[in-house]
Amino acid sequence: MFSIKRQSTHLLSHSLLVAGLMLCGILLSACGRGNFSGLEALPVDDYVEKPGNFLGNTYLLSVQIDSQIEWKEGVGRILAVEAEGSSSRIPIFVPDTIEQNLHVGQRYEMRANIRKGGLIYVEDLRKF
Amino acid sequence: MWKICVSSSFCILLVAGGTFAQGGLPTGPSPSRSQPAQAGVSGPSSGVLESNTFLEMANRMFDPTSDSMDFENGSFNWKGKTFNITEQRAFRSRFERFLLTSPSEEEVQYAALMNDILERLSVANNNTDDAILDTWELLFRASGFDIDGGNSSVVANQVFNAWRVRKESRGVAMSQKELEDMRKYQQEVVANRTLMADKLRQERMRNATNAGENEKDASGEGNLTLNSEASFRVLDLAETEAKILALEAESASTGLQAKLQFQSQIVSFLMQRRFEHALVLSGFYQWLFKGSHQRLEVGKNQLEQLLPGSDLSYTVDSMSFIAREAINDVGSGVDAVNAAYSEGRTMLALERLQEVFFLGEYLTELNEIPTEQRRHLLDLYRSLMEASDLAETKDYVGLTVLVEKIAQLADDFPQTRALSGIETAKSMSDMAVFAASQYRNLAQIDKARQELRQAIEIWPSNPAIREFQMETTKLATAGSQGVKVFDDLYQRNEQRAIYERRMELGFALSDDPERRPLLMEVVDQVARIELLVMQSQELVKQGEAYAAWELLMEAAKIDGSDGPMNQARAELAPRVSDFVLQLDRADRQAANDHHAGALAAYLAAQDVYPASKICREGIAREAAALMRGLQPVKVE
Repeated sequence: MFSIKRQSTHLLSHSLLVAGLMLCGILLSACGRGNFSGLEALPVDDYVEKPGNFLGNTYLLSVQIDSQIEWKEGVGRILAVEAEGSSSRIPIFVPDTIEQNLHVGQRYEMRANIRKGGLIYVEDLRKF
Repeated sequence: MWKICVSSSFCILLVAGGTFAQGGLPTGPSPSRSQPAQAGVSGPSSGVLESNTFLEMANRMFDPTSDSMDFENGSFNWKGKTFNITEQRAFRSRFERFLLTSPSEEEVQYAALMNDILERLSVANNNTDDAILDTWELLFRASGFDIDGGNSSVVANQVFNAWRVRKESRGVAMSQKELEDMRKYQQEVVANRTLMADKLRQERMRNATNAGENEKDASGEGNLTLNSEASFRVLDLAETEAKILALEAESASTGLQAKLQFQSQIVSFLMQRRFEHALVLSGFYQWLFKGSHQRLEVGKNQLEQLLPGSDLSYTVDSMSFIAREAINDVGSGVDAVNAAYSEGRTMLALERLQEVFFLGEYLTELNEIPTEQRRHLLDLYRSLMEASDLAETKDYVGLTVLVEKIAQLADDFPQTRALSGIETAKSMSDMAVFAASQYRNLAQIDKARQELRQAIEIWPSNPAIREFQMETTKLATAGSQGVKVFDDLYQRNEQRAIYERRMELGFALSDDPERRPLLMEVVDQVARIELLVMQSQELVKQGEAYAAWELLMEAAKIDGSDGPMNQARAELAPRVSDFVLQLDRADRQAANDHHAGALAAYLAAQDVYPASKICREGIAREAAALMRGLQPVKVE
């Protein structure tokens, strides 16, 4: 009797430990994505077809840099990137305020806002 | 990138040259424009050179005569001996007659008879007077043959003449003997008379001592009588001596004359290529004159002509040697002709046959050439002569047909070389006509006339010349209405119609300083469009549909309303719809200043056709515009 009670107590403590660990994992994960969390991916093909439909929205972009099209000091750079899940390349603008070295071929996650004229304005980015 | 640059440069070059290549617009006498026209055609001198080159080649190719036959100088050279060949036409007719005739039985008999005569005259045979007389009689039989031409009679007459001279010489010799006997008698008489006079003189000297003055006078009279008789006898003797000398001189003269006539006739036979008769006459000469006077004294001028540059001393034997060598050479030549013919070297056989024929025209050795072979060679000979005439008159169409016929007659005829030469000459004439039309369009009439003259000179019957003349006439007629037509079309902006009538309009507006630049501009534009369309069509054939589309886009920028260009675009559009869709999208976005959207569309289009020049330029343009919009406005 005593051993059964002791056994159930032991099982409960283990379950709590596992649940605690899972919760910690979730919390750590949420804290790791920072301000990228909760963003949906940009539907690239739709964007290319009608960029005006996406003005004002903010999206998460998972891209690989294809080439740098233009750079202007104090303004930023225009890059051609290949977005995940799409065969088309799209142009993005990375302002000079994001002080990171960007190299062709590197993969990034970006938080981007669609601005006037369909400009994909990168607000934040990180490698992945 | 590189490919695009090359393609663009090529287009520009073609556009630059295309205006002329398509019979482009008259552009006035500016050096930059006239240069391609001059560069694209040959100069007058090169055309004449080409024409002369072809004629020289044709002369060699269609002339079957041997190098040893020189019709210009009328001579035939054989082993350093030069014969008079007479003019080509006469030789041709004799040669053709030979090729037309067949060996006859009569000629065989004649050949046997002549061989018999020559055999009889050989030193190895019986050379008695009777045998020689029999041989001499055979000459009259030989002269009965047509092929002999009566020359055996000439030989017979020469021999007979020699005999007659010899007989006369015998008569002279007899008279001379009698005179010599008389001279001996007279010498004795004169000697006796002198002796008797001396005896009488001595006897009377002895009696003188006994006799008186009267007797002296009587003895003086007797001496005078004896002296007078002796002097008469001396005179008789002198007369006889003179007669003997005259007879000796006459005899020598007559004999020499006979020999000289013989020698002269031998040389004459050689010159006439009657080698058998020369041999026969030499044989009689050697028999009649027994080896004396073998050195030739006459016919030196003829010998100088026959054997130029030789300072040797010729004899009757050397003439015999030449004649025999010629006969042998004809025999071996006939063998060579037959061998070449049997091996299919018909051209070679014909060439050699002419040499052999000329040398042995009067020899029966030529009968070894069969009738069938003669006819074949006659066909070839006449075809070559006709081809030579056609080449002379530059009738290249007829010549081409004839060359093919000759090639069928003679396997060794250089047909390819002949046809190649003909084609080259025709091309040169065509090029000259083309240059003439270019100069005409540039209103450079003198140069056009010069080129046309050259074209006519190279190929008088060139059909392109006729076309050129008709076109020029048409242009001249249309020129009077050109101003009105141009104004009408230009007002309606029908550039393609102007381009299609550019020739007549250019002709009409060549002196119009106001309209001429407008016409030039229109024609330049449409010519560029035309070239771009043609280029795009070529690229479509090569499977480069997107590149073709880009060229049509270039053409559309020049004139978007051009009919043929739009037709080409409509035909190509379904094949490049994905590309066109993105480009149209880019255009629309750019038109609304949505540079980011335009940039995205250009990138999408570039994904379809990475080598796109339009995309490359569009991306650069839109990116720059976008960057300008992002640049913060500076506040003063």
